[in-house]
Amino acid sequence: MPTLLETRASLQEAMVFLGALASGIEQAIGESANSISYLAGKHLGMAFSEDAPRTGDIEQALRSVTEILQKNNCLWQFEPFQPHDRPALVETTDAGDQVLLVFRDCMIRQSLFRFGHHQKGSLCNMMYGFFSGALLNIMRRDSTLEILHAGENGCYKKLTVGRTVSADTSLPERG
Amino acid sequence: MIEIEIHDQSCRGCQLCVDICPTKVFEYDAAQAKAVIRHAEDCIACLSCAYLCPSGALTHGNYHVVKNFYRDLDFSQKMEKFL
Ligand code: SF4
Ligand code: SF4
Repeated sequence: MPTLLETRASLQEAMVFLGALASGIEQAIGESANSISYLAGKHLGMAFSEDAPRTGDIEQALRSVTEILQKNNCLWQFEPFQPHDRPALVETTDAGDQVLLVFRDCMIRQSLFRFGHHQKGSLCNMMYGFFSGALLNIMRRDSTLEILHAGENGCYKKLTVGRTVSADTSLPERG
Repeated sequence: MIEIEIHDQSCRGCQLCVDICPTKVFEYDAAQAKAVIRHAEDCIACLSCAYLCPSGALTHGNYHVVKNFYRDLDFSQKMEKFL
């Protein structure tokens, strides 16, 4: 059995490798790299949330995503955020229900910094994909995660969860 | 709550912090030609303002410092018990 330290060290090496890979792919195929990272994240999100309980409540779904990340030792800590001029944490818009999220510890940001790569690139799309995959399983909704601001010590994003049930027919039936 | 301060005498009024802050914590006070803190409660501690400020006039306190990747495995072994 590998020790926790060995697992962490291999995760770190994998992330640094991913950072280099993503940067190389961006140079080779441009914006298409975003879709590759997005899909990789989406598959991960779907796989990790396979057994997560279903809910239509966005705050409950976000708590489930946090639990899933912790359970899988993923260093992606986030929290919902309500600035002073926002009347409610969850805002209903034509595009869907929106929540602002602050991301603190993030293994993607750390691997980008380690390599001197810029933020908001294709690897950051992996997080978007992860949320899409997990929320598709948990809420049966399509969602988007837009980066509003990428900072040195935290990032600020807008999660929009569509209000209609996803048309994705690949979803397994669950009670 | 995150604490944030502008060192008044250092601020040169360039407004970089006003422009970069994603949650509109600062405003520009034209009379004083300096940045002022309007909504400290909205600071998410992204630290972009502190990194950008050419005068080093901004300081933050009581915030979560993100965990960096390990550089040294022996050192990280010692850290394990806190993680
Ligand atoms: S970035 Fe620094 S110097 Fe410029 S306005 Fe803000 S506090 Fe003042
Ligand atoms: S740390 Fe980020 S959120 Fe806080 S005042 Fe600076 S730019 Fe704004």
